[in-house]
Amino acid sequence: MSHGNHQQRLNESLSALMDGEATELEIQRLLKEKGASGSVSADGLDQRWSRYQLAASVMRGEAVAPVDLGLAASISAAIDDEPALDVRPEVAANDVQPRSRWWRPLSRGAVAATVAFAAVLGVQQLQQPVTSGGGELVAEAERPAQQPVQSVPRPSGFYVPALNTRSVSTMPLVTPEQQRGAAQQGVPMQLVPSPELMRHLNRVMIEHSEQAAQMGSQGMVPFARATYGEQPPE
Amino acid sequence: MLKLHQMTTSKANSLLLALLFLPAFNPALAQQASPPPVSAQQAPEQLPNQAPEQVESGSEETATRSPVYWLGKMADAVTNLEYRGLVTYEHVGMLETLEVIHGVRGGEQVERVRYLSGTPRELVSRGQDAHCRREGSPLSRAGLWSQMGQQNVQSLYHVLQRGRERVADRDAVVLELRPKDVHRLGMVVSVHEDTGLPLKSMLVNPNGQVLERYQFVELDLSPVKDEDLVAKSPDARESDAGSDCGSIVSRWQLRWVPPGFKPVASREIDQGELLVYSDGLSVFTVFVQALGPEMNFNGRAVRGATVAYMDHVVFDKQRYTITVVGEIPVQTAQLVARSVTGKH
Repeated sequence: MSHGNHQQRLNESLSALMDGEATELEIQRLLKEKGASGSVSADGLDQRWSRYQLAASVMRGEAVAPVDLGLAASISAAIDDEPALDVRPEVAANDVQPRSRWWRPLSRGAVAATVAFAAVLGVQQLQQPVTSGGGELVAEAERPAQQPVQSVPRPSGFYVPALNTRSVSTMPLVTPEQQRGAAQQGVPMQLVPSPELMRHLNRVMIEHSEQAAQMGSQGMVPFARATYGEQPPE
Repeated sequence: MLKLHQMTTSKANSLLLALLFLPAFNPALAQQASPPPVSAQQAPEQLPNQAPEQVESGSEETATRSPVYWLGKMADAVTNLEYRGLVTYEHVGMLETLEVIHGVRGGEQVERVRYLSGTPRELVSRGQDAHCRREGSPLSRAGLWSQMGQQNVQSLYHVLQRGRERVADRDAVVLELRPKDVHRLGMVVSVHEDTGLPLKSMLVNPNGQVLERYQFVELDLSPVKDEDLVAKSPDARESDAGSDCGSIVSRWQLRWVPPGFKPVASREIDQGELLVYSDGLSVFTVFVQALGPEMNFNGRAVRGATVAYMDHVVFDKQRYTITVVGEIPVQTAQLVARSVTGKH
């Protein structure tokens, strides 16, 4: 195994962890590398991780908390002239020392978050009905991929989901039917949901929930559903 | 007669569930279940007015109760019990918190829901259609008042007791309603042992995924004050269900409905009609509207446990948009949408 190969695998693992998709093996690999402190590749990991997080924040348009100057300087240095870091290892080592202490608890947090996520999935499987036949599974697979209810948001890095998704999330997830032609009957079918369509869907969902509330068998749950999609008055 | 009169003050569908409860009070069964039956408390006539405090509780009693007993107790509590509480509602991967208040005024339910997180939203619903359940109405909910209606839920769902748990500092019995076919979602409900109020309820798809979870954090069972039933925010929506009996004779019919679903209401809406069907637990609503070409969409929309399937039907050279909405599997909604036809 060449050094370059190993480094590449580490980078892949790191980016998987960043996306919340790292396997147990990859996490172990990263932790082991970190354990071998002082090695050049471990220090590289530190920097890479910081850069990934910073870049992700900037791409999401988040305000980045004030970063200490040494860190910021080393990041711009890294962006300007990445290979140069290898040429001047003693400079990098000075910067890395405080930074590695800074990110170490975060790394543990990442592992913990991943484990918690797995635990939540595990709990959800407990209710799996024994009677479901193959037909049901196939049928249910048609429901569009939608995140089931979870106790914790899916970890993506360590970041709390952006707050401005709130108004979007009350909208239903719309999927057009594939097998029926759009040009059918000469009336063009919209493939991208229009605001009118979304308003219609929201309205019928609220109306349905109020009808269901009158049935009474679910208590006040339908009212929670009905009110959920309510738009602020225009 | 007395029984009938009292029962009409509660919601029709809870009547269905309350009726499920009756077999548990069949004298023979009652002897088995609890050795000294207290007839004054257990007579069916007392059901709607039964004070929660009078119901015996305790682990021995709890252990011997049948799941169907809890179902009946729950149906009674959601209609007749006054309560207020804080609730978490998980839905679409989001966690919201709500304040809920349920009061009974003059035999009618007054309910207020206010979101404490996210966009401010509030709803006050009063006067649930107590006067709409008179006999003779073609699609009245009293249609579920039948021998078949009583058995409906049990014939469509396995009712299982899944042990006990503690929710909002109270002891609850966990019930699972597992559908026997693919056309409805399962439900897991934790019923408060003392009052029958569902303290936690989850909708579960056939893969065992929880689509929605509604759970009390704090519950107050003291009588609700009038001022607590008044909207707190100026933008609150008022819903007065009592004004519309929802029993028009529809122009539309369904060639197919999932087994056990029965028409429970229909009424006119903007540019069309809506038809409501229920199996006693699950509900779906069919909207048939002349909305014009800009609503030409064929497909599904999903939000949490609620699915909407849109299609269209051409009848008398007029194009109608069909939207089937409910807490049902999406392919069931699709089958229903395709079965809509006009009456000639």
